[in-house]
Amino acid sequence: MTRRLPWVIKYRPKRIDEVVNQDKAKQALIPWIEAWASGRKPAKRAALLYGPPGVGKTSLVEAIAKEYGFQLVELNASDYRRDVDIKRIVGSAARKRPLYGRGLIILLDEIDGIAPREDAGGLRALLEVIKETENPIVMTANDPWKEQLRPLRDAVLLVEFRQLATGHIVRLLERICKAERLYCEKDALKYIAEKSMGDVRAAINDLEAVAEGYGKVTLSLVKALVRGRDKSIDLWRTLNSIYYAKYAWQAKKAVTSSEEDYETLLAWLNDNTHRKYKEPEDLYRAYDALSRASLFLARAKYRGHWSMLSYVFDLMGPGVAFARVKGQVARERFSYPERIKLMAQLRQVRETREALAGKLAERILASRATIKREVIPFLTAIFRNSQDPTVPARIALGYNMTREEVKLLAGARAEEILKAAERIRKARPGEEGEKAVREERQAKPAGLDAFLGLGSRGGIAPGKGASRPQRSTRRRGRRRGSS
Amino acid sequence: MSSAFDVLWVEKYRPRSLKDIVNQEDIVKRLMKFVEERNMPHLLFAGPAGTGKTTAAHALARDLYGEGYKQFVLELNASDERGINVIREKVKEFARSRTPPGIPFKIIILDEADNMTSDAQQALRRLMELYSASTRFILIANYPSKIIDPIQSRCAFFRFQPLKKEDVVERLRFIAENEGVDYEEEALETIYEISEGDMRKAINILQSAAALGRVTVDSVFKVVGMARPREVRDMLKAALDGEFEAARTMLRRIMIEYGLSGEDIVRQIHKEIFGNELKIPEEQRVLIADYLGEIHYRLVEGSDDDIQLTAFLAWLTVLGRHAS
Ligand SMILES: Nc1ncnc2c1ncn2[C@@H]1O[C@H](COP(=O)(O)OP(=O)(O)O)[C@@H](O)[C@H]1O
Ligand SMILES: Nc1ncnc2c1ncn2[C@@H]1O[C@H](COP(=O)(O)OP(=O)(O)O)[C@@H](O)[C@H]1O
Ligand SMILES: [Mg+2]
Ligand SMILES: [Mg+2]
Repeated sequence: MTRRLPWVIKYRPKRIDEVVNQDKAKQALIPWIEAWASGRKPAKRAALLYGPPGVGKTSLVEAIAKEYGFQLVELNASDYRRDVDIKRIVGSAARKRPLYGRGLIILLDEIDGIAPREDAGGLRALLEVIKETENPIVMTANDPWKEQLRPLRDAVLLVEFRQLATGHIVRLLERICKAERLYCEKDALKYIAEKSMGDVRAAINDLEAVAEGYGKVTLSLVKALVRGRDKSIDLWRTLNSIYYAKYAWQAKKAVTSSEEDYETLLAWLNDNTHRKYKEPEDLYRAYDALSRASLFLARAKYRGHWSMLSYVFDLMGPGVAFARVKGQVARERFSYPERIKLMAQLRQVRETREALAGKLAERILASRATIKREVIPFLTAIFRNSQDPTVPARIALGYNMTREEVKLLAGARAEEILKAAERIRKARPGEEGEKAVREERQAKPAGLDAFLGLGSRGGIAPGKGASRPQRSTRRRGRRRGSS
Repeated sequence: MSSAFDVLWVEKYRPRSLKDIVNQEDIVKRLMKFVEERNMPHLLFAGPAGTGKTTAAHALARDLYGEGYKQFVLELNASDERGINVIREKVKEFARSRTPPGIPFKIIILDEADNMTSDAQQALRRLMELYSASTRFILIANYPSKIIDPIQSRCAFFRFQPLKKEDVVERLRFIAENEGVDYEEEALETIYEISEGDMRKAINILQSAAALGRVTVDSVFKVVGMARPREVRDMLKAALDGEFEAARTMLRRIMIEYGLSGEDIVRQIHKEIFGNELKIPEEQRVLIADYLGEIHYRLVEGSDDDIQLTAFLAWLTVLGRHAS
């Protein structure tokens, strides 16, 4: 007997367009690779493809490498847990010139395993490698939202892969049936696809198992042979159990037996319920339940009333499940909570806003809260709407604002105002008005440097900007200009 | 306007000396008396925002100590300090520092003191006693009723009144002339109407309107609208039109674009509910405020911003549907 290739390998996509139902991921990843291919290193030197297993993450990287003529160097990151190994093995690949083709793509598959809580060193080493790499590094992970991956998330291009829609999986299975000249009932394929919960690898394996055993794939066979995937109750399953629950206890059990913490689960429910429920009244009831769940969770957490947790479960599980009175559960795919992405971005703008408020508070003599409420809105109005960009530019100079602060106030107009400010400063160095303002406020030159992009604050790598001021200024300017 | 650097006019036109303070004559007179006698008790300044409380405290100190007054003043803002322990440390440190020549005390300005819990205020009272030999406190509050009685009874009380129309308009005219602003007289009155005696707000409106060009009644209204992100209004409209998904996307954009917290957004929504740009039946405004209050309460209790506001939008969607 000839040894056969398992179907998941035999039917691996060979071209980019054979990776189906992942258009968004392609739209994000391909331009990034194209930048590398044309010799422009993108600002983020690594990409992290994330999503549930078996949705085409690895396949897409392989197909891209092939089509764009990159040599693919695949390293299994979870083999090198120790930071020295990561530095040595990944680091040397990162500096390597390609043997053929346009360059190398370094693939670190399934990095979830690389950063267990005890061992942050591996991650730190990886971050260093990313900073210096000469070649694109592509990583994959199932769950990028683990707290310990946070520094990594900020340093990479995040590309989301969603589970495949059942219809797409059925079509992939049909293609295999045809290629294998296998008798397959359409309903049987549908059944397999549904049970796979969006995991193509699982679906293909199930198909192969039935075909191998019986030489044909019928509904009655698959019903007998294919069980739901036994991934210990994971998120997808928890969510489905909630949305489709027939009894309150089922929904509650789905919550209490989930391995995820309640905040993560809340975030998932918050970002998926609107995909699953479409009737406004159902939606309102569901979100009100989540809102109360969040309130009870806060009471438990901040006041130590841990007995309140039970109500959190009630509202998250049955509260959401039985909010659906009118409509059906929609067939939309689950998505990773944007909120967690959002939080990272939010943290940054809020820090900027806080810093600006602090600066103004000293000068306007009011609390930061008052400044945020009473002053920043008017500054925003001036920065966004003034006819003459030099008006906000002079104010920006008067308060030693940083680039980020100007951006926060001016939005799309930031560049115009920053340019005006630079012109003013060049034209009148050390002029009277400046001196007066400086004396009045005991000037802090550090802020001014940061404003002109010369300081360490806001540089690409903290601490490095100061030693290479020219370069970091230019680079930052360009990035902004193109975004 | 020829200088390279510019600052906000609320900063630029802050009276530096007691004699420059507009209105508040009785208060100013009493404070000047302290300067004359080079002595004063603890003071409590209370009154609405933008009426000159903080200004008066600093002006008093400057008139007492002269230009370098800041070295003899400890400025604290209860809203920004992290708890009474931090305040205690700072006061302790400050009490040890150099005393001014010829005046036996230094000044501690504790702004927004009504934001302190009553426990913290009790601790504050002990501090006031402990250091009363070498320091005087000027406590500033919007709501004097939130200051505990034992503190009130130790302070000379000054109630600041909202500034009168002619004072505000006069001050705005002075600033406008000085800055070479092209303005319509009526616009200054409109600014007064909108700012309700809050001089900080009035001056901010004037400066923002001036940035648009000629200051007219129209441009004043326009700029007041601009000071609230119009996206908040658009978000409410989308939800009321049944566009829940769109509203939800806007919510996130607002959070990111402006860095607003859940409570900031609740406050903005609250302004919109009773504003005239949002065209909805009057009885709905009350319903919305009621549910918004509930959401606000849940936020204050520490629950999640995003979930709370999403729930609010889902509720609005239902309300909008029932109305149409
Ligand atoms: N989007 C997809 N389009 C086509 N085939 C897919 C897709 N996703 C997964 N597959 C199939 O499943 C197998 C596993 O895919 P893989 O790319 O390794 O998944 P992941 O890396 O996301 O776990 C592949 O061999 C391929 O046959
Ligand atoms: N009585 C006043 N006379 C002149 N200007 C005032 C007066 N009150 C307030 N202002 C102006 O409003 C701004 C805010 O005043 P401030 O004293 O900080 O108000 P608060 O009462 O809230 O402490 C000041 O910078 C000043 O420009
Ligand atoms: Mg893979
Ligand atoms: Mg004040």
